[in-house]
Amino acid sequence: MTANGLSVVVLLREVLDPRPPVRLAGGGVMVREPGPRRLVNPADLEALEEAMLLAEGRGARVTAVAVGPGRRLEDGLRLALAMGAHRAVRVDGPGLWEGDAVARARVLARVVEILSPSLVLAGARLLDRGDDPAPALAAAGLGLPCCTPVVSARVGDGEATATRKADRGARDVVALPLPCVLLMEGGAREPRYPDLDAVLAALGAPVETWGLPELGLPERAVGEHAALLRPERLVHPRPDPTPVPTPDPDAPAFERIRTLLSGGIRARAGRVHEGSAGEVVEGLLRILEEEGLLQGAAP
Amino acid sequence: MTFKHLFSPLKIGKVEVRNRISFQPHLTNFAVDCLPTERHMHYWGERARGGVGLIITEEMSVHPTDRAYEKLVEVFHPEVIPHFRRIADRVHEFEARIFAQLNHNGQQCDGTISRLPVWAPSPVPDVLFRETPKEMEPEDIEEVARYFGRCAVHVREGGFDGVELQFGHSSLARQFLSPLTNFRTDEFGGSLENRMRAPLMFIEAVRRAVGDDYTVGIRLCADEMIPGGLDLAQVQEIARRFEATGLIDFMDLSIATFYNLYLVEGSMHTPLGYTVPLAAGIRESVKLPVFCTGRINDPVMAEKVLAAGQADMIGMCRALICDPFLPKKAEEGRMEEIRYCVADNQGCIGRMGVNKLLGCIQNPAVGLEARWGEGSLRPAAVKKRVMVVGGGPAGMWAAKMAALRGHRVDLYERGDELGGQVLIAMKGAGRDEFGVIARNEKAQLDRLGVTVHLGVEVTEAMVLEQAPDAVIVATGSVPKAHPVAGADGPAVFNVWQVLEGEAEVGQSVCLIDYDGHHRATSTAEHLADRGVEVHIITSSLFVGAELGPLQDLYLTRQRLLQKGVTFTPDIAVMEVTGEAGDKRVKGFNVYSNEWGEWGPYDSLVLAMGQEVDDRLYKALKGKVKELHRIGDCVAPRKVDMAIWEGHKVGREI
Ligand SMILES: Cc1cc2nc3c(=O)[nH]c(=O)nc-3n(C[C@H](O)[C@H](O)[C@H](O)COP(=O)(O)OP(=O)(O)OC[C@H]3O[C@@H](n4cnc5c(N)ncnc54)[C@H](O)[C@@H]3O)c2cc1C
Ligand SMILES: Cc1cc2nc3c(=O)[nH]c(=O)nc-3n(C[C@H](O)[C@H](O)[C@H](O)COP(=O)(O)O)c2cc1C
Ligand code: SF4
Repeated sequence: MTANGLSVVVLLREVLDPRPPVRLAGGGVMVREPGPRRLVNPADLEALEEAMLLAEGRGARVTAVAVGPGRRLEDGLRLALAMGAHRAVRVDGPGLWEGDAVARARVLARVVEILSPSLVLAGARLLDRGDDPAPALAAAGLGLPCCTPVVSARVGDGEATATRKADRGARDVVALPLPCVLLMEGGAREPRYPDLDAVLAALGAPVETWGLPELGLPERAVGEHAALLRPERLVHPRPDPTPVPTPDPDAPAFERIRTLLSGGIRARAGRVHEGSAGEVVEGLLRILEEEGLLQGAAP
Repeated sequence: MTFKHLFSPLKIGKVEVRNRISFQPHLTNFAVDCLPTERHMHYWGERARGGVGLIITEEMSVHPTDRAYEKLVEVFHPEVIPHFRRIADRVHEFEARIFAQLNHNGQQCDGTISRLPVWAPSPVPDVLFRETPKEMEPEDIEEVARYFGRCAVHVREGGFDGVELQFGHSSLARQFLSPLTNFRTDEFGGSLENRMRAPLMFIEAVRRAVGDDYTVGIRLCADEMIPGGLDLAQVQEIARRFEATGLIDFMDLSIATFYNLYLVEGSMHTPLGYTVPLAAGIRESVKLPVFCTGRINDPVMAEKVLAAGQADMIGMCRALICDPFLPKKAEEGRMEEIRYCVADNQGCIGRMGVNKLLGCIQNPAVGLEARWGEGSLRPAAVKKRVMVVGGGPAGMWAAKMAALRGHRVDLYERGDELGGQVLIAMKGAGRDEFGVIARNEKAQLDRLGVTVHLGVEVTEAMVLEQAPDAVIVATGSVPKAHPVAGADGPAVFNVWQVLEGEAEVGQSVCLIDYDGHHRATSTAEHLADRGVEVHIITSSLFVGAELGPLQDLYLTRQRLLQKGVTFTPDIAVMEVTGEAGDKRVKGFNVYSNEWGEWGPYDSLVLAMGQEVDDRLYKALKGKVKELHRIGDCVAPRKVDMAIWEGHKVGREI
């Protein structure tokens, strides 16, 4: 932890834009390049936004760390600088990111060790591959508490309070001692849109690049050498069938058929609140607050 | 992935089955002169070789009054025995077991084939066959029971491992069990005990005839899914009572009746594994091995059902029509080689009721295993450089088959993905699974080392420059440019443009359906799903005229109605007119000859036919060493013919 207050590290990872279809090559062990569009994982950018809000409120210092291969991520870092991050670090080196989550977690842990922030933020899910166990593994390796998926967080003295998503729309509120790792649920905030001046300033700002020497890690401790699992083959997944619910034998035949054919997907029933405009607005605000969807509003 | 449950053996009665996959009973129309044929032998032999544990044959008739179809096997003739022996030997050669399904269809029968009155518990006609039956007299019931027994002996003598009595969706036994069809006041009707009397006589006759050391089971309808019919709770009780007799060894299940046949062979518009809850319900009530069948088309799902204790045996019918080697591939972990059935129902059930031989749109070898089965492919004598143009189903199959025979194959597709029109078809409402047709083949092309060139439009000059040894043109078809007067006017679109999201259709659309198939209806539904008000005009008697045999008519119509789509049948459209936002349709009633005008609509969508894209073929004709043309670019048809022709040319080139 830095002497003069809160410091936050935000991890930025690169993902494939899943909208254009992905093509496989090399007999199914690689994704064909060029073609697929890549972008910074949207949930990571949201985590950065959360960090910037903390920076504004608490005067925290934000370091954006690009983890993953390739220079393209430098664009992501410049975006982070434009959004207000104070420092940008790109961690890369030959083969550094080629291992599995365990190997990548080892590098992440080292980065966190060096920067020793009060808070590490990242998106809870990757847009393309879904789960990325590496940040949580890194936290475990360092003995830091980790919470996921976080919808909102507050940081107090020596402690963070995170609201995390639980089953069926419920929320848990968790207290964690600092330093800790929070993996943010996507879709809860909109990353800010930097103005032109900031973008221009970011173009010239320094981006540090750390390789093995900076990390102080031997080659055999990272990448493929450190991996426990090796990918054998990538294939497109088959869609998962939704389970069919059991029809109520007492229901009329038409309803029984409907149940069998529904495949289990039912829209969640909404609640209807009635009253005057004022009452409805108040009710709505109450729900939003209960669900942990409102921040910065007067209690 | 390993399939712990799926590939564990199961003792069913007196026989041990090597795994939990059963090839479920289904008509084939392979019989000739009411006898099994060589075609049957090779057909079932291929599945046995493919690793299935158990095979249950198509329903076979136990009595002369039962001729639901022209091409049924009549088991009551002793002549069947030598044929059965050959079949049993072939199946046993590959360590699989085989049961015969014995059936009397009762009222679900056609007396104009048998030239005999149809027999049933009560004189109520079936909804499909619509023939008022003769109410069976007690001696008729005894006669059928006797025939069941005699037939079971023929099956045992024929070397089969067991019999299954069809008490399911189409059977005299179900008609006795169900209050829907049994109105008798004698000892065969009324109480459950009475309604079970005739079916029990059938079981007893069979057990008496074959003895205790033979496997006998039934296929029970788990829920008739019709008001006034049997439901799961009643069938649980029936199942318990059948089990309590101690005369049967297993309980296979089916669902529904001919009122709702679309539930028997659920199409891709029904969920995978849609009958699992019913099987689970029956399994709760009995200790006998219970089968679960219905859109379980992949081993992963099968394993889950077994692991969850919802069934003891997984029935796969269409999954193994489509890929006989699914079990073996699953066991050997070759999952990406499995050709998954897509439940289009076109090639299999769609051909049954109209008396054609069983087929499969994705498996041209069905019924032709002797010629095209596993191991029949010979390496090409001369290895050629083959250029395939067009990456639709025809081109993909041609490339695959040619590569399998050792040719060096280059496949060209101008789009950025393989699949051709299949990629458009799968965008229709509820048609996603259609895309699996392309997905199945993509994996094979990768594996076989076919060089795929995407985003390359092949021209005459290109072919001449590369001078391959053989060219296969599979350039497909496109919507007719000008199917009706005024089609070139504003706000007139075709189905492709709508499904590809290239059409600004506005809020109200009139879709003109000359297709009668999913092309039209799935596009209408696609629009309705997006809040567009859709009206369909067709020259047929009803919308979706081709969907009946595919078991897709009922639910399609239901969904369209629920989504507010309206219909006008009987109209031959002659002209479309007007500006965007004020489109009109002019035509006449094909029966009354009266003219009419419909509109205004924001836009019109035409499903009015395809035309070939044969430009490349014509340009190359006479200029290359060897030229073939396959699929829609010969004549616009459907996927089945595209694959058929791709398969054939790949074998012969
Ligand atoms: C909306 C819709 C729904 C349908 N629904 C069904 C259905 O339910 N059941 C069914 O059986 N059938 C259905 N069909 C029809 C079925 O998709 C076609 O019959 C089938 O795809 C024809 O296959 P093909 O390989 O002959 O041609 P296509 O699928 O047309 O493929 C031809 C390919 O060749 C490519 N090509 C053309 N010229 C060149 C060139 N010069 N260079 C490189 N590439 C070229 C094209 O881009 C295209 O990909 C549907 C079609 C549509 C559009
Ligand atoms: C072409 C065809 C014919 C069938 N004929 C019979 C039959 O004769 N007897 C029977 O009990 N079931 C019959 N069925 C139903 C199947 O046994 C099975 O229950 C159904 O196809 C659903 O299983 P699936 O999804 O694995 O195909 C038939 C199915 C098909 C596709
Ligand atoms: S024709 Fe279609 S539904 Fe029938 S077995 Fe083949 S793929 Fe499955």
